[in-house]
Amino acid sequence: MANLKDIRTRIQSVGSTMQITNAMKMVSAAKLKKAQDAIEKMRPYAEKLTELLSGLSANLDADLGGDYAALREVKKVLLVPITSNRGLCGALNTNIIKQTMRLIDNEYAGKEVEILTIGKKAYDQLSKKYKVIANKSDLFDNLTYEHVAEIAQEIMNDFVDKKYDKVVLIYNSFKNAATQIVKTEQFLPIKTDIAVGNKVVLDYIYEPSQAEIVLELIPKSLRTQFYKAIRDAWASEHGARMTSMHKATDNAKEMKDELTLQYNKARQAVITGEILEIVSGAEALKN
Amino acid sequence: MKLDIVTPEGALFSGEIEAIVVPGVNGTFEMLNNHAPIVAILTKGDVRIKGQNLRVDDEVVDKFKIDKNELVLPINSGTVEMKNNQVILLAE
Repeated sequence: MANLKDIRTRIQSVGSTMQITNAMKMVSAAKLKKAQDAIEKMRPYAEKLTELLSGLSANLDADLGGDYAALREVKKVLLVPITSNRGLCGALNTNIIKQTMRLIDNEYAGKEVEILTIGKKAYDQLSKKYKVIANKSDLFDNLTYEHVAEIAQEIMNDFVDKKYDKVVLIYNSFKNAATQIVKTEQFLPIKTDIAVGNKVVLDYIYEPSQAEIVLELIPKSLRTQFYKAIRDAWASEHGARMTSMHKATDNAKEMKDELTLQYNKARQAVITGEILEIVSGAEALKN
Repeated sequence: MKLDIVTPEGALFSGEIEAIVVPGVNGTFEMLNNHAPIVAILTKGDVRIKGQNLRVDDEVVDKFKIDKNELVLPINSGTVEMKNNQVILLAE
């Protein structure tokens, strides 16, 4: 039978694990709230930008998008998997890494694939097997639009310079704290279906011309798209961590209850044993 | 007229103003009440907002400067749209 002291030690250690996971859950919940707020805050900007862009490009028939829409034969692909820097968030990062590997081995088999990782977890896993050209994990230490836009611009410049023929983002899209969906999104070349909109004759003054404005707006909208992906991944990370820490706390609680039951049984058995000894001792004295 | 300044990181300003000066790509220009509808691209420079009782949220107050009763916001680039006395400034 399990030793009483052993069980007590285990109960204690499970208890302190429970405290830690519970604290982590609280921290993640607070961070998740902030991350969701940030997504909420960027919405007006993104919506207005899309509105302007689709309104303008609907009036133009010419080839839109300029350099960013150039469709070339796909020989060189840049994959951008976005994971977290830290673990303890369930299958979140594994899903991204798996999806990246699947893309490399199936869809882009035989093509020259380079990887730019955002997040330490993707870098750790993928750099062992594949060609990772850069790792931008420090992005999450100071997540600002400016910082993200810089990286997006670098990628966009590389695309224009024909270093890559296609750029794909792989990230977790935040649905709710329990569900994150792996998204594979073509970043470049841009799909010109944003141009779908009704032809509206607007009596606007354009400065400079409409076409030039569109060309100016497209990189902005690309940078915003990139920023949104990062923000989504950021919220997903905290959502997933919150959920997995919640589960861990629940499991620890269950384990603690079980151990406590075992402990009480063992203690009872010891007491019963002791009573038995006393009673039989007394019986022996009587005779 | 009403002005809204939005950035990818949130709204910076929302309120009634009298005039706004923006750094357009073809030169700085000012918009007053009842300006014709316009869409313009902005370059790096200062956006100047004129008006009475301009109020800025405490959270973002350090992004603005005050110069001769005007609110000044430095931007890297941006887009401005005005129609029906409603100005929307997308700043980066």
